[in-house]
Order: sequence, then C-alpha cells, then structure tokens
Amino acid sequence: MEQEVERYRKPTRILHWFNAGAFVILFFTGLILFIPPLGFLAQDSWSRILHRVCAVIIVVGPLIYLLTNWKASWKGLKEAFIWGKDDLEWLKAAPRYYFLCDEKAMPPQDHMNTGQKLWWLMVIVYGVVIGVSGLIMLAFKTTAPAALLQWSVFAHDVAFIALGAMLFVHVYLSVIHPLMRPLATGAWSSMARGKVSAEYAKAHHGKWYDRVSKGMKESPSADK
Amino acid sequence: MAKAILYDAAKCTACRACQVACKQWNELEAEETTNRGTYENPPDLSPQTWLKIKFMPEVKRNGKIDWLFTRQACMHCTDASCVKVCPTGALYYHELGFVAYDKDLCSGCGYCEEFCPFTVPRSERNLWTGVAKMEKCVFCTVPGLDRIAEGYEPACVKTCPTGALTYGDRDELVAVGRERVQALQANGHPNAYFYGDKELGGLHVMYVLDDSPEAYGLPVAPQVPAVAIAWKDVIQPIGWAVGGLAILGLGLNYIIAREAKLTRELPGKKEE
Repeated sequence: MEQEVERYRKPTRILHWFNAGAFVILFFTGLILFIPPLGFLAQDSWSRILHRVCAVIIVVGPLIYLLTNWKASWKGLKEAFIWGKDDLEWLKAAPRYYFLCDEKAMPPQDHMNTGQKLWWLMVIVYGVVIGVSGLIMLAFKTTAPAALLQWSVFAHDVAFIALGAMLFVHVYLSVIHPLMRPLATGAWSSMARGKVSAEYAKAHHGKWYDRVSKGMKESPSADK
Repeated sequence: MAKAILYDAAKCTACRACQVACKQWNELEAEETTNRGTYENPPDLSPQTWLKIKFMPEVKRNGKIDWLFTRQACMHCTDASCVKVCPTGALYYHELGFVAYDKDLCSGCGYCEEFCPFTVPRSERNLWTGVAKMEKCVFCTVPGLDRIAEGYEPACVKTCPTGALTYGDRDELVAVGRERVQALQANGHPNAYFYGDKELGGLHVMYVLDDSPEAYGLPVAPQVPAVAIAWKDVIQPIGWAVGGLAILGLGLNYIIAREAKLTRELPGKKEE
C-alpha cells in the first residue's frame, strides 16, 4: 500500500463540500439574473428563496466551523497572510508549470502553495464583501436607505464576478488540469478522502511534507 | 407615436376621483386607514394604491393662503431606472413609450423600488422568505383590463372632472403644457414650471406646475442613479468578459498542458 499523508481533517472536508454545494446553487440562482431571457426562472421568487437558503448555509457553516475549530480556523486564516520569497519564485515559475508541465521549476511550498494562498485570500476578502452586502439585502431590504441597498447590489455583483471566475479556476486546477490526473493522489483525493500520497505531498508541498514527516509524533494534519 | 398624460396642477382640486377610478378599474382593494388630520389619504402609495393625490402643506404667497396638490404615481420615464435594473425583463417599455409591466415575471427582488428616482414601485415583502411582487401604475394596461389597447384614455383621465388630466399624443401635450406654463407665468405665477418635458429623457406623465418643482415636493433634475449605470453598463459587461476569458483561458491551457504532459511522459519514463 502506498504511503499517504493526511491533508484535510473531516470537519474541514465537510465544510468544504457544504460550501461547494451551496456556492454552486448560489452561483446559478444569481447568474440567471444576468440573463434576461432566463428571467422566467426567477419569477414568483422561487430562485430567490433557494438563494436565501443557500446563503444561510454558506454563512452559518463557516461560523460553526470557526467556533468549534477555532484553533484550526486561526491557523488556516493566518496561512493566507504569510508570504515570502518562495511565493515570488512560485509566481515566476507558475506559467512554465501550468502550461509546460515543468514541475522542476517550482520552489518548495508549504501546506498551501502560492496559488492556493492567493485564492484563499480572495475568498476571504470577497467572501466578506458578498456576505455583508448580501446580509444587507436579505435582512434590511425594507429598512435600509435606498443608496445603501443600491451600493449593496453593486458590491454583491462585483464579488459575484470575482468569485464566479475563481470557481472556474478552482475547479479546473484541482480536477481538470492534466497535472491533476490521476485524481487518486492529489487535490481531489485531499478533499474527497482527506489524504494525498506521500509522493504528491513531497513534490507539491515540500516544506509542509518535511515538517510533517519529521514530526510524525505531532499531529499529521497541518490544519489542526 | 408616444402617448402621455398631462397633469395640470393649477386645475386640480384634489377631489381624488382619479384615485378612486384607478382602484376601481384596476380592481385594487381599498385600504383601511386612520384619521391623521388631513384630507390626504391613504398616507402613501402601496401595492393597492398606484395613484394618489398628495397635499402639500399650506403656504402663504402674495398675502394669500395657497394649497398645492400634486399627483403621485409612476412618471413613465423614457430613461427608466426600473427598466434598467429589472433583472427578469418584467418591466419594459411599451410601444407607446410608457413603462409597462409583466407581473408574472416579477421575481420580487425589489431593485426597481431602490433605484426609482420617484420611489414609486411598492411591494409587500415577506421578510423571512423574501417573497414579494412589485406593483405600480401600468398606464391602464393590466392584461384583460387594457384600456389603451382598446383606444380608451386611462381611467384617471376619464374620470377627472376639472380637466386637470388629459391624455393624448405626447408631442401635442408638450405644446399644450408649454403654453399653459407661459400663461401661468404671465398671470402672477413667475415660478410656473413645466415638469417632465426634458426630465429623464422626457416623462410620459407631465406636470404643469404653478410653482417650482421643489414647492410640489418633486425631485429637481431627477437622474438615473450613478450606481445603476456603473452596475449595468460597466460592471456587468466586465463580468461577461471576465467569465468568458476565464473559460477561454482555461480551455487553452488545457490543450497546451495536455500536449506538454504527453511529450514529457513519452521519452521521460526512465527519468522518473
């Protein structure tokens, strides 16, 4: 049996898949408002009810996680803000890696690589924007001043565009990109089963793997 | 040929027959209200009240008490903010120029209510589910009750006993309105103003006022909110571009990367 390393604990994975499901529904129930010929799908408020239910899930889920896993949450949030020289190197080497599949050029990465950190940072920033503007529209539609509601729609839309485009990139880079095949070893496996092969961990998250393999007495999971 | 309603505030006696006719023709329920010490009733527009006469506070002008009345209902703009922001196409421009409404299509999002410079659209909103249906004056074009399609004037115009409301070709009414305002200006109303001629690309409900718009509580130089333009004309096209380019870019990357991976793997087996 090939050696494996734990990458995401169960609560993290459950949160991820709840968010993923809610996000996809939120995305499509929002997208139809961009396409007037599909307006009939929104008639009589049905898509808006669905949008609201998923909005609650995608906001309450992380809050529950935050409260019950505050140590892991704190560590995870910090990850987005720790940047160093290797990140610059990573960005320089990324085009060669993603287009030419040149794996050698990549500098060693920690638990999250630069791309993942960038993505995670945008999730945090735009997540707050879309969450706050959404809350204003959901709860204060009849009481907030019109100008505030106008700007909320605007901000919600900007964040929607950013997060929607990021969703494509995220799904593509984790399960469709040729380097992510076979699925059983890498990103898909880390979120589906929580584990990746030691081989994959060494190649893609060298710094993290070194730490984890040295300190096996410690917890094997980096997000603990 | 664009049609319009001309409201001559100087001829209005605030009898509110138009309010009643509107409710009657469009089958809108009466509202139970309480005495607030004013003839103005109901206090505001609502999903059941698409048209009402607003009573301005009495003012003293030229040593006389003056009481101004104004008509409150959809102004049927040429550049309508509500049509611009309506995401489902429920609000649209009628071929005769005014703002028509396909109620079935309304999703209840409430954007029209937030962006209307005249705060005309109204809805009853379930705060938990968010379910709502917007209501507003639709120029007597409610399906099955469409007076305009039958060649009749709107119900409010039909019932007006003083001739304060007239219906007709917009161009003709503009000429009539300008003349009336000039006459008022020459007869002791120097601030008389013709409202709706140019506002928002030209309104399809125009007002002959014997004082300034401010005196009647009408917005001076109403505009489509800048946010609506930034949102609909800038951000949304950018959104399509970003989404399209992202998918295009990823597809391109897939083709190139797959080739690269295959060529790397063919001779490279020994390297591993």
